[in-house]
Amino acid sequence: MSYVDAGYIIAFSVLFLYVVSLLVRRRRLERAVANVAPRGDAVQPSASQDGTP
Amino acid sequence: MKPVVLRSIGVAAIVTTAATIWLGLWVTPPDKVQGDLVRLVYIHPPIAWCALYLAFGLAALSSLLYLWRRTRSMFWDRLAASAVEVGVVFNALTLVTGSIWGRPTWGVWWTWDARLTSTALLLVLFLGYMALRRVPAEPEVRAKRCAVAALFAFVDVPIVHFSVVWWQTLHQGATVLNANLSPTIHGSMAWTLLLGFVAITLAFIWMVAVRYRIEVLRDEIGEEELEVSLAERRAESGTVEAGFASAEATPTMALQPRPEPAGHPGPTVVS
Repeated sequence: MSYVDAGYIIAFSVLFLYVVSLLVRRRRLERAVANVAPRGDAVQPSASQDGTP
Repeated sequence: MKPVVLRSIGVAAIVTTAATIWLGLWVTPPDKVQGDLVRLVYIHPPIAWCALYLAFGLAALSSLLYLWRRTRSMFWDRLAASAVEVGVVFNALTLVTGSIWGRPTWGVWWTWDARLTSTALLLVLFLGYMALRRVPAEPEVRAKRCAVAALFAFVDVPIVHFSVVWWQTLHQGATVLNANLSPTIHGSMAWTLLLGFVAITLAFIWMVAVRYRIEVLRDEIGEEELEVSLAERRAESGTVEAGFASAEATPTMALQPRPEPAGHPGPTVVS
């Protein structure tokens, strides 16, 4: 393998892996936000029953 | 950024990157002096351009706009954080691709040359910025602290740029952005390099946009979790307060001595 091939492989592999990590992190957080929102809705009524703001 | 626009930028980045690889590896001729090693030049300067000027420039500008009271908004803080993370990846790749080019050209993987050293220092400084973001603090305090750190780290960018002018270095001077603004590169090589700049810049924009979305989601989940835990805490304290309130409603009963059973002799006093 030449230095040129190594340079291209390393550069684009790192960029590809970083892109994958970004997509995975975004997906995970979107799911987490979707999970947290209903939980928040479920808790709020019980809190308001006590008259707390 | 709208999903359609983001997707279009992503597709354009993939297409132009594929074209750069094809032109760079198979179509363009080898250089008269450097031979095939010139092919690394189609990716190394564009990656460095994104790291130094786009990413860290954007981070410094966003930090400045955050620190200025009239434009202060968490948008700038998130944008700076996103640009720095992407910039650190590009900065590391700048050093790696430069090192791979330097080994056959200069005979060493690394040398304490002014350009190389200042670029490595830049990486360390912005890694420090990322570490600072992880220090627990109020969002506003963290944002202000990180904005100052980004501006401090950005001072190294002009040093990196002018290092080849100020000191005698192994690293050659600018080929495209030179003092005369006349690129010393010819024909298909120039077009391939230009395409490389376009491709890597598009990829950079896409990455920063996605990274920004991650930052927004992270803040959102933080706020929502905080609200949920606060609501839970309020619900708990409400139950406890209700318990206290019922206890306080009958204080005399609670404090009254237990009635003694009939026929009980009563307490015996021992003298």
